[in-house]
Amino acid sequence: MNVDEERRATFRAGQRAILQSLPGAGAWGLVSGVAMVKGGLAVPWAIFMSLTVYAGSAQLAALPLIAGGMPLWVIVATGLITNLRFVIYSAALRPYFAQESTGKRAALGFFMTDFTFTLFMRTAQEGRLPEQHRDAWFAGVCTNNWITWQISAITGIVAASYVPTEWGLEFTGTLALIALVGPALTARPALVGAVVAAVIALLAHPIPYRLGLFIAALAGITAATLAESWSKPAPPAVEAS
Amino acid sequence: MNEPITGIALGAVIVGLALSTFLTRTSFLLAGARLRLNPRIEIALRYAPVCTLSAIIVPDVLMHAGTALDLSLLNPRLIGALAASLWLCASRNILGCLASGMLAYSLARILL
Repeated sequence: MNVDEERRATFRAGQRAILQSLPGAGAWGLVSGVAMVKGGLAVPWAIFMSLTVYAGSAQLAALPLIAGGMPLWVIVATGLITNLRFVIYSAALRPYFAQESTGKRAALGFFMTDFTFTLFMRTAQEGRLPEQHRDAWFAGVCTNNWITWQISAITGIVAASYVPTEWGLEFTGTLALIALVGPALTARPALVGAVVAAVIALLAHPIPYRLGLFIAALAGITAATLAESWSKPAPPAVEAS
Repeated sequence: MNEPITGIALGAVIVGLALSTFLTRTSFLLAGARLRLNPRIEIALRYAPVCTLSAIIVPDVLMHAGTALDLSLLNPRLIGALAASLWLCASRNILGCLASGMLAYSLARILL
């Protein structure tokens, strides 16, 4: 098999890896699309936003500000704050893609979401990432997630009045996140981090623009790291000579 | 309340939002070697998915109705999340996890 064939096979392996989670991404995309139109955005602008921003929570946070005619900088700043967790994701992914070209790193970053990032990191920790062409594997994951999200978001935008919002379809997205994160909770430090992050997130919930989420994530990561260092036996003391 | 933003101004807002999202997503990826975190922090970041997702999921399940904590066992989202988690413990099948969670959630909403 030559390099091109290898890369294509690795790309397809990435596409398969996310297949089962796609109903969650689709349901969340559909509901976000409906919400954009019901939030007052005209259909072409909503489609433009879905294609260029590709970040459900930031898009939804911007809607009331657009409807209220807030200044550009306020809306952009809100987007930055809502997306702060992506800075953490970006830092976590950096070592895996440090060798890639600038253009490729930019592209992989653009297509990175809660779903694709979590799947990548979990697969890496379980030692199941392919030895080579990790960029192609992640591109496969991201491609399927992007296509699914866009098709369902645009369906939601175009057919907003026909989608039954009272069914609570968006809960499928939450369930898919549970399915992604659940298997990683077997190790004790991860469990400690998850519990701390959850408690802080509940306490900080009134803070707007997902800032509470960012604080909770940092607290959880710190707690998990502390738990890990405590659960390991102390290194042997060095004798002073 | 001002008028809603429309036309070219709306286009500028969306482009601004797209750029700010792109900046956060590519921040450390693009900065590369120039902006590197301490290696120990980079190692700690492998807990980022677990912690962030937990901070997204738990309020979504327990506080969906508003700002009040709903720990009641009659909370349909809690019932759905528990059903999905039980399925996940029994088998790694994600589709089954989604289906069982949605089924339990919908039944709880209809029946309770």
